[in-house]
Amino acid sequence: MTADVVREFLRYADVVIFSYFVALNSSYLGLIVLAGLEFGRHLRRMPFAGADDMFRSPLTLPVSVIVPAYNEGPGIVAAVTAMTALRYPRYEIVVIDDGSSDATFELLRAEFDLVEVPRVVPGEVPYHSQVLSVHVARANPETLTVVRKTNGGKADALNVGINLARHPLICMVDADSLLDPDALLSVAKPFGDDPLRVAACGGVVRIANGCKVIGGRVVDVRMPRQWLVRVQVVEYLRAFLMGRTGWSRLGGLVVISGAFGIFRRDLVVEIGGMATDTIGEDAELVVRLHHHLRRRRQDYRVIFVAEPVSWSEAPTSLRVLGRQRRRWHRGIAEILRKHRGMIANPRYGRIGLIALPYYVVFELLAPFIELAALVLLPLGLWAGAVDVAFLWRFVLVAYGYGLLISLISLFIEEVSFHRYPRWGDLLRGVAAAVLENFGYRQILAVWQVQGAFGALHGRRAEWGAMHREGFGAAAESAEPVGVGVDR
Amino acid sequence: MVGLFTVVLEILAGVVVVTVAAIVGVRLLRRARHQRRAALAAGPRRALLAFVADNGEHGSADLVAILGDAWRVAEPAALALLGKLRGEAHLALVSVFLERGVAHTALGNLRSRSRVRRARAAQVLGDLESRMAVPELCRLLGDRHDEVRVVAVRALGRIGDPAAAWRIIASLDRADPVPSLLATHTLVQLGAEAEVTLSAALDHPQARVRAVCLDALGLLGATGSVHRIARVLREDAYLDVRVAAATNLGRLGTRSALEPLTQALGPARPAALRAAAARALGDLGAPGAVSILADLLDDDTFQVAHEAAHALRRLGHSGAEALGAAVEAERIRAGLARAGAHARPSASASHAQEALALSRVGAELGGRMEVVA
Repeated sequence: MTADVVREFLRYADVVIFSYFVALNSSYLGLIVLAGLEFGRHLRRMPFAGADDMFRSPLTLPVSVIVPAYNEGPGIVAAVTAMTALRYPRYEIVVIDDGSSDATFELLRAEFDLVEVPRVVPGEVPYHSQVLSVHVARANPETLTVVRKTNGGKADALNVGINLARHPLICMVDADSLLDPDALLSVAKPFGDDPLRVAACGGVVRIANGCKVIGGRVVDVRMPRQWLVRVQVVEYLRAFLMGRTGWSRLGGLVVISGAFGIFRRDLVVEIGGMATDTIGEDAELVVRLHHHLRRRRQDYRVIFVAEPVSWSEAPTSLRVLGRQRRRWHRGIAEILRKHRGMIANPRYGRIGLIALPYYVVFELLAPFIELAALVLLPLGLWAGAVDVAFLWRFVLVAYGYGLLISLISLFIEEVSFHRYPRWGDLLRGVAAAVLENFGYRQILAVWQVQGAFGALHGRRAEWGAMHREGFGAAAESAEPVGVGVDR
Repeated sequence: MVGLFTVVLEILAGVVVVTVAAIVGVRLLRRARHQRRAALAAGPRRALLAFVADNGEHGSADLVAILGDAWRVAEPAALALLGKLRGEAHLALVSVFLERGVAHTALGNLRSRSRVRRARAAQVLGDLESRMAVPELCRLLGDRHDEVRVVAVRALGRIGDPAAAWRIIASLDRADPVPSLLATHTLVQLGAEAEVTLSAALDHPQARVRAVCLDALGLLGATGSVHRIARVLREDAYLDVRVAAATNLGRLGTRSALEPLTQALGPARPAALRAAAARALGDLGAPGAVSILADLLDDDTFQVAHEAAHALRRLGHSGAEALGAAVEAERIRAGLARAGAHARPSASASHAQEALALSRVGAELGGRMEVVA
C-alpha cells in the first residue's frame, strides 16, 4: 500500500517536473523570439537613430558615471582612462574607493594627478560609512572626482556617489567594466527620446575574457580560452542579452545590471537610493522603482538597450563562479521576499502579474526543480513509477530543448550583432552550448540552492576574493597580476 | 510509444542540425554580401574621396554617373560625409544627391505607409538641408508615430528654416509631444530669426511650450527678450517655467537681469527657484551680486547654499574674497568658542571652503595653460 502511494507520488512528481521544464524552456524561447524581433526593429532604425545629433546637441542630458571600487588596483586606471574617453557631450566620473586595502587610490592619484578638495557631501540618500576625503583631477576638476571612504559595501559606496553626482542622469558602472565608446550615448538616448517616461535604462554586459584590450577598449572580440568561461559567454547571450531584451519588449524588465545601468537621479533620490540590506542592490533598486512609480500611477518605462555594451571579467574558477552564483541567487530570493506584496498583485500591472511571478516560478524555483529532477526521476524509474521512455522524453525536454534555446540565441546573435567574427569562435560557442548541459547546469543549480538558503537563513553575505587579471597590458596574460574582490 | 519517442528525438536532432546550419549559413551569406558590397563600393568611395579632396570642384559628373547598385552601397557613406562637410564641398555634394534624384525619392517616401521609410526619408531630407521639404516635414510633426515626429523635428533643425518655428512649437502642445530638449535644440538651430516667434510663445497656455521657448531664447542669446523673461520669472504659475526663466536670464548675462534674479532669491520662494537664481547670478557675472550671494552661504537649504558658493567662485576675484571672508569668519568663531581644530565647520564655511578649493584648482590650471601657451 505504502509502496503504491510512493510510486503514485513519484509518477505525479515526475509529470509535474516534466511539465515544468516544457514551460520553462518555452518561456525562454518566447523571450528570445521577442528579443530577435526587437533587434530587427533596432537595426532597421539605426540610420535615423540620431546618435550624432545627440552627441552634438548642447542640451543632451549630462550624466554622472558612478564607479564603486574596492581593491580594483589591477584594472582601475585602464577602466577610468577608458571612461574619460567616452563619446558623450557632457559627463563626470565619480569613483568611490570603498576603503580599499590595495593601491586603488594611489594608482588613481598618480595617474590623474588628483588634488584634495573639501567637498560637502549632501545627505540626499542615506549612507553609513565615513567619507575621508574627496579629490578631483587637477587637469580636469569637472570631469573626474575620486572619493575615499571607509568600507561600507557596494550599495553604501553607490549612495555616496549618488549624493555627489551633479547631473540629472546617473550611470552605475562596475570598476572592472570596460565601456564601448558609444555605450553612454546609446544607454542615455532613450532619456532624450522619451524624457517624460523613461525612468531607467539597462545596457548589455558581455564577457571580456579572451578579448584583446588596448587602452581600456575592447578592440578585438574573441572567445575566452577556458571552457568554463565560454559556457558563461553563451549563458550571458541567452539570459542577459536575449532574456532582458525580451522582458524590455514586454514592459516587464525588473533587472538592470549593476555593471551598467542608467537612472534618473531625482527618482533614485526619491526612493532613498540603494538598499544596503540586500546583496542584489541593483535589481532591488529597479523593483523598488517599479513599486514607487506604479503606486504613483505614473506612466513610465524601464528599458534595455542591446548595443553597444559594457565588458566585464567573468570568473575563471569554479570556486569564484560558485560564490558569484550563490550571491546572485541569494539576491533574487531577498528581493522577492522583500517585495512579496507586489507578487501577483494587479496594482503593479505587468510587473506584479507577469514579471515577478515569473521570477518566483522560473528563476527562484528553477534550481530546486532541476535538482529534484536529478533525484526523483531515477527514483521513479527504480520504483517503476515512470519508464525509460519517459526518462528520455525528460532528457529531451530539459536538455535537448535547452540546447536548442542556446543555439537559437547564437543564431540571433549571428544575425544581429555578430560580435564574434572568427569561425573558430563560432564553433566554440556551439560546442559550449552543448557542454553547458553536462555538469555546468547541475553544479549551478547546487550553488543557486545554497544561495536561496543563505537568504532564508539570513546568513551574512560575503563578497570573497577574486583574482583579477585587469584590462591593461596584462589582459591577455594567463597569470593573475593582482588580487581583488569579486563584487 | 518508443516509435513516438524516436520521432520526437529525430525532430529535435533535425532542428538542432538545422539551427547550426543556419548559423553557419548566415555567416557565409554575410561574408559573401560583405565582399560583394566592398567590391561595389570601392569605385564610388574613390570617386567620393577625390571629389571631397577637390573641394567639390571636379568629379560631380562621375558621382552622378555611378550605377544604381554601386550607389546604393555607397550612399550611407556619402550621407555620413555630408554631415562632416561645410561650405562649397557640402553644397557640391548636395547637388550630386539632387541630380541623382535622392531628394525627390525621399519626398515621395515621406508619404509611405511604412513608418521606417517615412523616418528614413525625413532623415535624408534633413541631411540634404532641403528647404523644399519643409512643408512636408512640418506635416510629419503630426505623424501618429513618435519616432517619425522625432526625425522630422531633427531634420527641420538641420534645414534651419525659421518658418517652421510655429509648427515645432505647436507640436509641443499635444498629449504625446516631441521631446522638449530636442525641440529646444531645433528651435535654436533655426537661428535668431525665430526670436520673435519664440518671444511671442512665452504667453502660450501650455507650460511645456513656455519652458522650451525660454531655453531656446537663452541659448540664442536673445537679449531683446530679457524683460519678457523677467516677467515670466515673476508671474508664471509653474515652478519649472520660473526655474527655466531664472536659468536663462543668467545665460543672457545682461545687467537688467540682476534685479529680477535677486527678487527670486527671497526666502518665501521655492528652494528649486532660489537655487536656480543663485546659479544664474554666478552666470551673470555681475559684481553687484556678491553680497547677495554671500548672505546665502548659510542658507538652510543645501542646494541654495551650494549654488551660492559656486556662483561666487565663478564671479572671480570679488567672489573669492567673499568666500575667503566666510572661511575666516568661521575660523574666528571657532577660535572664540575654543572649539579647536576638530570642531565641525558650519555649513557656510564648508560650502565656501569647497568653492575656494575648486577655484584654486581652476586658477592653477589656468596658470599652467598660460605658461604652455
